Order: sequence, then C-alpha cells, then structure tokens
Amino acid sequence: MSIIIISSDSKKIEEDIAEKVAAVMDYNRLGPKLLTDVAANYQIDPVKLREALETTPSVFKNMPSKNWRHYLSCIEAEVFDRLLKDNIVCWGLPAHLFVTGISHVMKVRLLASGQRIGKIAEQKGITVDRAEKLIADELRQRKKWSLAAYNLDETDPSQYDLVINLDQIDPTEAAITITNAIEYRKFQPMTYSIKCLSNLALAARVNARLLESMVNIKVQARDNSVVVVTKASNRQKRKKIAAIKELAGDIEGVSYVEVHVKKNILEDAAENPY
Amino acid sequence: MEEQKLKIMVIDDENIVGKRLKPALEKTGDIVETFEEGEKALARFDKEPFDIVVTDIRMEKINGIEILERILAKSSRTKVIIITGYATVEVAREALSKGAFDFIAKPFKPDDLRAIIARASKELKS
Repeated sequence: MSIIIISSDSKKIEEDIAEKVAAVMDYNRLGPKLLTDVAANYQIDPVKLREALETTPSVFKNMPSKNWRHYLSCIEAEVFDRLLKDNIVCWGLPAHLFVTGISHVMKVRLLASGQRIGKIAEQKGITVDRAEKLIADELRQRKKWSLAAYNLDETDPSQYDLVINLDQIDPTEAAITITNAIEYRKFQPMTYSIKCLSNLALAARVNARLLESMVNIKVQARDNSVVVVTKASNRQKRKKIAAIKELAGDIEGVSYVEVHVKKNILEDAAENPY
Repeated sequence: MEEQKLKIMVIDDENIVGKRLKPALEKTGDIVETFEEGEKALARFDKEPFDIVVTDIRMEKINGIEILERILAKSSRTKVIIITGYATVEVAREALSKGAFDFIAKPFKPDDLRAIIARASKELKS
C-alpha cells in the first residue's frame, strides 16, 4: 500500500527499473506520460511542460519565471492527485523533490555514471574523458535545476531512502532490492502519513490555481484549511487578499482560507517614489 | 449476544488529553483508563492487559516508544496507537518499525482516533 519514487541521472535507467518494480509489485505506473494529462487539464502546451522540467527560467529561452513556476505547480498538483490513490511506482517526474515528509513514500536513487560513460563515449564516438565531462555537466545542470525549483539538490544521496549503484548491482537485483525494501513496515501508510499527503495535495491544487495569475505564493494546508502567504504593496493588499480567498475558496476540499501578506518593498517604493 | 467491550488505556502526561479522550472513547461502550505517567500505566498493564493502548511519545521518565516496546513484549496482541504533537517522518517510521498499529499527529479529532480504534478492534477480532 505504499509509494515508490525512482529517480536517476538517466531517464532510460529510471524507466527500466520502475517497470520491473511495478510488474513485480503489481503497482500502478506514474511516469512522464502524465504530462499529457497535465497539458490537457491545465490547457498548457506539453512542449512547455517538458521544457520546464529541463531548464531554469530565462527570458532568453522564452520561459519567464512566472510561467515556469506555474507549469511546475500544475505538474505537482496532478502528481499529488495520482499519489492519493496509493500503490504506485513513480518515475520521470520531479516527485522526489516535492513529495516530502511522507513516511510511506520510499525514494530511490539509481546511480549509473560508470556504465553511462562507456555508452555515451561509444554512441557519440568521443573519448571517455569527454564523456565523463558531459555527464558531469549534466549532473551540474540537474543540481542547478533542482535547487532553483525546489531548493533541494537531487544529486545529493542523503535525500533518498535507498541509493543503488547500478555499476555494481545489476538491474534485476536492484528491482528485487527495491521490492524487498518497500515491504518494511516503516514504509506502510499510517493515519499521519495519509493526512500529510492529502494536505500536500490540497496545497498543490490551491498553489496551481493561484500561480495561474499570481506570483510570490506559498500555500500550506491542514485538513480543509489553507494558509496562503504572499507579497503585496499596501495599495494592492486588500485586492490581493480578496482575489486569493475567492480563487482558493473555490477549490474542492477547501473550507477555510487564511491569507498572510508580507510587504512588497519594491512595489511600495515604485508606487511612492518620494 | 452482547459484543465484548474493548479495554483501552490512554497514556499522556497532559492531563487534558486523557480528560477529553475518556468520554469520547467511552461513547462506544468501551472501558477506558487514563494515565499521566508511563510507569503507573505499565504497572497497571502488568496486572491486567489491555486490548488497545493509546500513548503520547514525549513524556518524562519513559517515552512513548519505550512504552510501545514494553507493552508489545508483554502482550503481542495489544494494538498500540501513538499520538504526538511532534510528528516527523523519522519518528513515525520508528514507531511503525517497532510495531505500532498506527500513528497520528496532535491535534486530532476524537473521530479520527475512533476510526483507528475501530480498525484495531476489527483486527483483534479477526
């Protein structure tokens, strides 16, 4: 009755192992195909969603920060919605970075730099040194992306419950190790962890709705109450609170909305320059 | 045939928790005893085992995890439910690993605890 989130620096490896684990456990699969549903549900170009998962915001890449945050929030909301159903193997999505504090979620990191170096050198016809440099650059980019998106370094092994080096353990053994580990009682759902997950799911739904038209939004949920922290100038404060209460209050499962507004010093200065 | 009443022990060093939970849990006709000290609760358990033990974690002298271990050592059929105002993933996983039936963060509604007790009761009868 648990959730396994698999991540790796190689999408192919992630998918191979996730498929093996899902087949053995008879778990549902939650992979990058989800982006098609996100695109349809939130009316977003799927190419933009994929781009948001690869790049950090930049005006040069036509990915402003406001859109980037919104795209990621829509992916989060959709992932949480699926995770509420339990018995899932998830991969190819940044769930390992935003599904935090849930005891029945086991996060697995697969390392395979060694074997990837040889393959990349062969496929691209480059030296091993050059392939090593390419992989190091990729990891640097992923670290930069994960820190910008979720303030977590996805290349840091301490973020995971289980780390497997596929240069030493073959894929079948890795899948067996994962299926055995998820049987540990500590990864079974409990009232506390189920509640934490449903709180995160509600917060993600509200966040996705608000980020569609706003910036500087942080949402926390507990039971059916949500607390939104935002920034606004003195002039905009009342209007923004009313808008947040209306949008968030409209979302299924929300019965109470509290808004905390921090001063937006830059906007205040722009409105009152003297 | 009359359904057998459950014997429930509530251990929490905050007096108010026991005071509030006792009437809420007795509504279903079960027998509830409350304790503010772990030692006294364990001494009572030695005399007569309980079906369900609801215990806080952070308490002076004996903490809830130790109570969990000692209760299960005495009676493996007893269902131990952990309640805490300091819930973390690590503590929750430790409690479950050591045999807790369930784990719930404070504050909670009496109905939430009653739902857990109903599940525990079902398992005890199966």
